[in-house]
Amino acid sequence: MDKITIITGTVGVDAHVIGTKIISRVLRDEGFNVVELGAQTPPEEFISAAQETAADAIFMSSLYGMAEMDLQGFKEKCLEAGLDDLLLYIGGILGVMRHDFNDDEEKFKKLGFDRVYPPETDVKVAIADLKNDLKVKGGKV
Amino acid sequence: MIKVKQTKIDEEKFMEMRKQTLALWPKASKEIDLDEAVAYQQSLPEDKSFVKVLQKYSAEGKMGLFPRQGTPIVENEIELLQSLNSVGVRLFPFTTDSYTRNLQLDKAQAGLEESIKTGKAKLNGYPLINHGVKTNRRVIESCAGAMDPRCSQKANSLVGEYAFASGMTAMPASFFGWIAGYDKKATVEECIDTAQYLGRLMGYYAEQGVIISSDLHGWLPNGVVPTYVNVATQIIEALTAAHQGCKSVHPQANFQGNYVQDIAEVRLFRKIFRKYLDKYGFQDVLIPGIIASQSPLYAFPQDVGTAYGYICYIANLAATAGVDACSVKTIDEAIGVPSIESHIQTYRAANWIFEVVRSQKIEVNNKDIDLEVAMAEKAIDAIMDKVYELGDGDITHGTIKAVATGVLDSPFSINIHAQDKVLGVRDLSGACRLIEFGNLPLPEDVKDFHREKVAAREKAEGRKMDYYVSIDDFWAISKGRLLGTRN
Repeated sequence: MDKITIITGTVGVDAHVIGTKIISRVLRDEGFNVVELGAQTPPEEFISAAQETAADAIFMSSLYGMAEMDLQGFKEKCLEAGLDDLLLYIGGILGVMRHDFNDDEEKFKKLGFDRVYPPETDVKVAIADLKNDLKVKGGKV
Repeated sequence: MIKVKQTKIDEEKFMEMRKQTLALWPKASKEIDLDEAVAYQQSLPEDKSFVKVLQKYSAEGKMGLFPRQGTPIVENEIELLQSLNSVGVRLFPFTTDSYTRNLQLDKAQAGLEESIKTGKAKLNGYPLINHGVKTNRRVIESCAGAMDPRCSQKANSLVGEYAFASGMTAMPASFFGWIAGYDKKATVEECIDTAQYLGRLMGYYAEQGVIISSDLHGWLPNGVVPTYVNVATQIIEALTAAHQGCKSVHPQANFQGNYVQDIAEVRLFRKIFRKYLDKYGFQDVLIPGIIASQSPLYAFPQDVGTAYGYICYIANLAATAGVDACSVKTIDEAIGVPSIESHIQTYRAANWIFEVVRSQKIEVNNKDIDLEVAMAEKAIDAIMDKVYELGDGDITHGTIKAVATGVLDSPFSINIHAQDKVLGVRDLSGACRLIEFGNLPLPEDVKDFHREKVAAREKAEGRKMDYYVSIDDFWAISKGRLLGTRN
């Protein structure tokens, strides 16, 4: 069976690199094929990397609170690029001021994200969700 | 072929460089006139001088707060500064938003306009360039205290020009901060080049009698590692700025959370920066004080009680160590940009501790602290010797080669040119030790000291000290512990 390919990185000009480095290492140790784009990755780069590697999912990290602005129209661009099955996960601090995580979840689901996580979520939770989501889509597990 | 060198950029060349910098933003050359800016700086009262404010804390044996702040809407920023004044803050690190830091000024403008329209902050800082000199001066004049903006490599020179013309009196010429945490692709040489510009600009102001101080941040310890490389790189930043004519530097003790180790660091700071500045002929460069920083990069507790615990612990540590100012995060750190109320409550708590602890003038004498000081000094001297050797006496050349070869290295850095071959865990007392030395040129007895401490924890916990322990320790602080445990 093909290995599952996951793209990781922080979006926009977000410099908070530690989370995405840890996620990438854990995913690799868990047997995934990881394309690690690192911090400060423009949204378009996620899309081109996903096209080039036929990725199954994007695991985006974000701590600087401005991801919402960076990701306007992101899902639409994925669809335009033919990435209909690409799963979009995001986690971290997703707004600038003190706010309710439920609002983040709603906002990013509207933007087309499949899963939204609060800060300090164990990446293993997202891995379990990913396996589940891929099964639902009838793809490789 | 390395093009930078440590020697001072001559004035004619520097003025050419300035033209290119000011050309990055259409309004810049109209707003910034160096002679007028110097005259404005000279007209400012003493409480706007970062050097004077920090020296005053130091002379009086008091401690200042040094809280990160910065919000896009001018009226809100003024309200925030005045509120911070009401809890005694007189030193302000000034956070610029991430678009400004990356010179995406059109996006910063859009974010600013959206913020004004909705009345809500849509940027994670103050867009210093977009607001312009006149507005910045109004903001600075609206409160008491000295300003010290934050930026990253890409926009640093232009932000520096705006900051000093606006009346700010400190800024980090701290290129390892960018390598550690802000700039993914910039080369070490580009970072040095940019830091030299700021150092040279500070040098120009200094020649006219306006002393602007450079923060030293060094290669921030993004993970659980001892601060040897952090301190060595702060020394490198100090020397690089001094070569360009900068006349004041203030080091930053990055607290990793272990009492003995962090107090040892401050004790070492009292001598090691002076030692290196004097050694290379910079007896006239001031060190107005030492600022401690709550190590910025561990996950922060998300609930208010635990966050207070962590903040008050660091405040206590800083007061005991005897620093002149301390940067603590707020209880909102884990959630986003803090509200005014969170700032106020947090600093009231920290101030209480500063006052009560400092008034007791406690002298801590402890052989473990002495041992940490000795080990750190040996390690840092060995690193500095190697850097100078690699550069054949030129600190900038040595630094470029040292990063390329991992002689200078630290884990979890953003920059793709870092080797990232070094890793650490905590020992049983919570002090940071190295488990992977990478290519750090540490003396064998320093390495043995670390090996012994790591072995003791391996024995006590019956598990190998590896990458996953390092990560467990990284998350521990937000859970109210120093040592991580495996679930």
